[in-house]
Amino acid sequence: MRKLPRSLRFYVAASTLYAAVVFFAVQFIYTIQLTQSGILVAERDSGDVLSSIQIVSFIVWLGISLIAAAVMHRLATELAGAKSAEEEAKIAGEQKEQELGSIFGLSAAVAGPLDLEQIGGYFVAAIRGALPTDMTLALIVYDDVLEAFRTVAADGPRAATLQGKSYSTVALPAVVRTRVIDHRQSLLLADDQAHADMWKKIVEELPALATATSFAALPLVSRERLVGALLLIGEGIDDLIADKVQLPMIMGQYVAGSIHSALSVKEAEARAEREALVNRIAQRARASLDPEEILRGTVDELAKVLDVSRALVCTGATEDDLAVTYEWDATGVAPVGIGAKHVPIARLAARLGRTVIVTDVRKDRRFTDPRAAEDVIQQDVIAAAATPIRVGGQLAGALSFSQVDRSREWTADDVRLIEAVAQELRVAITAAEAFERQRAAVAELERLNRAKSDFVSIVSHEFRTPLTGIQGFSEMMAGEDLTLEEMREYAGDINKDAHRLNRMITEMLDLDKMESGRMQLHREPLDLNAIVSDAVDHMRPNAPRHAVSVRLDPLVGEMNGDRDKLTQVMANLLSNAVKYSPNGGEIVVSTRAERGAAHVVVRDHGMGIPKASLEAIFERYGRVESLATRHIQGTGLGLPIVRQIVQLHGGTVWAESSVGEGSVFHVRLPRGAALISAAAEAAS
Amino acid sequence: MSKVVFCEDDPMIRKLVQTAMRSTSHDVHIAEDGKQGLELIGHLRPDVVFSDVAMPVMDGFELADAMRARSDLAHIPIVFMTASVQREQVEECFRHGAAGHLAKPFTMSELRARVAQFLKS
Repeated sequence: MRKLPRSLRFYVAASTLYAAVVFFAVQFIYTIQLTQSGILVAERDSGDVLSSIQIVSFIVWLGISLIAAAVMHRLATELAGAKSAEEEAKIAGEQKEQELGSIFGLSAAVAGPLDLEQIGGYFVAAIRGALPTDMTLALIVYDDVLEAFRTVAADGPRAATLQGKSYSTVALPAVVRTRVIDHRQSLLLADDQAHADMWKKIVEELPALATATSFAALPLVSRERLVGALLLIGEGIDDLIADKVQLPMIMGQYVAGSIHSALSVKEAEARAEREALVNRIAQRARASLDPEEILRGTVDELAKVLDVSRALVCTGATEDDLAVTYEWDATGVAPVGIGAKHVPIARLAARLGRTVIVTDVRKDRRFTDPRAAEDVIQQDVIAAAATPIRVGGQLAGALSFSQVDRSREWTADDVRLIEAVAQELRVAITAAEAFERQRAAVAELERLNRAKSDFVSIVSHEFRTPLTGIQGFSEMMAGEDLTLEEMREYAGDINKDAHRLNRMITEMLDLDKMESGRMQLHREPLDLNAIVSDAVDHMRPNAPRHAVSVRLDPLVGEMNGDRDKLTQVMANLLSNAVKYSPNGGEIVVSTRAERGAAHVVVRDHGMGIPKASLEAIFERYGRVESLATRHIQGTGLGLPIVRQIVQLHGGTVWAESSVGEGSVFHVRLPRGAALISAAAEAAS
Repeated sequence: MSKVVFCEDDPMIRKLVQTAMRSTSHDVHIAEDGKQGLELIGHLRPDVVFSDVAMPVMDGFELADAMRARSDLAHIPIVFMTASVQREQVEECFRHGAAGHLAKPFTMSELRARVAQFLKS
């Protein structure tokens, strides 16, 4: 039963009392007056009549009173209702005003500063009042540069744990990712029966929520772009109901615009900074011609900007040729080493022809697959990024950066920077190649210059010996009293030395002619065996300490060649065999017929030639200078002449030797080729 | 009579030296290489040695070093006759303890004067 207001109860009681008083008063008056007037009837009769009248009038009064009470009650109720509605309207108006005030306050606040932290601070302060005090609220902003959400402002009991934190998108709970980030819908979750499953899941992913009772993530979207989210964490039941988050949501959409502007400014700044860096690097790359310096200026700088552990520049024309040519390591990072060939990430980038990034090598199938064990990345590397360097469409190398201390999410910006620098490195690598060519050319010139001065000293030495004789004997002939016999003898000596000198000069000129291609061979059919045995016969008197044996293969037969030049080849080889075996020993000269060629071998048992010099001895002035050979006379032109003559015949000459045991010189002359070219010569 | 030992591998120069020294009163001995020369020097104890540098078996520098190593021969001055006039090689002669240097080709009077210089002192 409805409770009546107290005033009404009082009124009903009062009117009933009044009716009773009136009733008894009327009855009393009636009774007196009837008695006085003598119309008092018999007690019983008169009593009945009176009673009837009294009852009727009482009922009438009671009815009137009740009706009045009911009317009064209705009136009172209406009145009361009208009064409370008025009050309610007043309260609601005040709240709206407060909300509007906070929105305007916020809008005024965020219109000025563009700093994200300041916007966040105003925003949190503005909505704080609309939310329970034990609720934690945090504004997280999507940072394009970091590619992660970052807390810019937080308030409430859990603020400390959220403040200054970054969350990469993948680290967020799945439901937040799909609902809030992908679909941009609000997420309101409470630890109640309706959401029990979802709550359990989210607590699994965010264990910190285990002690909370509700959680909301409200996306902040501006001009189609998700700029951030508002996180609310409630500690009490019914903290988060749709009504309560309305204001934060409205205001959230409002700050989203400001956040968007602030982010745009920040991104533009970051972009400008990156461009400045790339420009600086490009300038440096072009300012220097020293590739080492360019690499130092560019790669080091980029490595520091990216905050990596190691930077490598590999060069090579194919994936397999890639070798480290420049390395930068952060303090405490073990170097890979210049010339190191196995840089898997660089190889992968070279093979795929594009930038490759590895966030965590331990979780990357490309590197954990045991079948690719050959391609295992350096032991210490956890994350890496590499990009190929191409010059004129050809692979020239690769630039790689690695992280040894942690995994790393390479951002789109990191990749853009690495690629931009790789572009600039093309300049360095092209310059390096040109520099290397130049250096090789200079080295070759230096070598030739040295060889020339060596030659001058050798030749002057060799020329001075016969000159001493010529000068000395002629001086004596001019200044001393000599017999005719003595005169003749000395004149003969002068002649011998003059011949010696002439031979040296001829040798030099011949080699010059052959090297410049001005030497013509006088080809004729000849017997190589005869040339060999003639040369040995000529040499014998000069080698009294040597046992010379000759083994000629009769199948060598006739071939086409220049008799004088081939004689010179044999003379030079034999004279070397004698000169370089000063202690005597056996000298074996043999010929052998081979398929289409004649093979001549001269073997001595002398001092031998170091392995490293086996090629150089055929170079002009490539004589091996050592204590052992210092006293051996020669212009250093004998073997170069041999090689030139053999090559003019289309043949090859080479030496085998072991130091202390002797040397073997091989001459291989093609018979067919020599004949054919001779025939061609004759035909032309 | 003062004794002079020459070491020279070139037969023409040996002959030239022999002829040039004939007109002097010195006792001249000529070896064909350093080893022969060292034997002669040890045997004759000459007043001065004139030696070529580039010789087979034992060259002039080795000869000089061997003489310095022997107390009985260390005092004998040695003069190198070299075909090289390049400064480094002349310097090397003096590093090996040369008392003098005679560049080839030399005149006969120059040779005789150099020999006389060492025999006077």
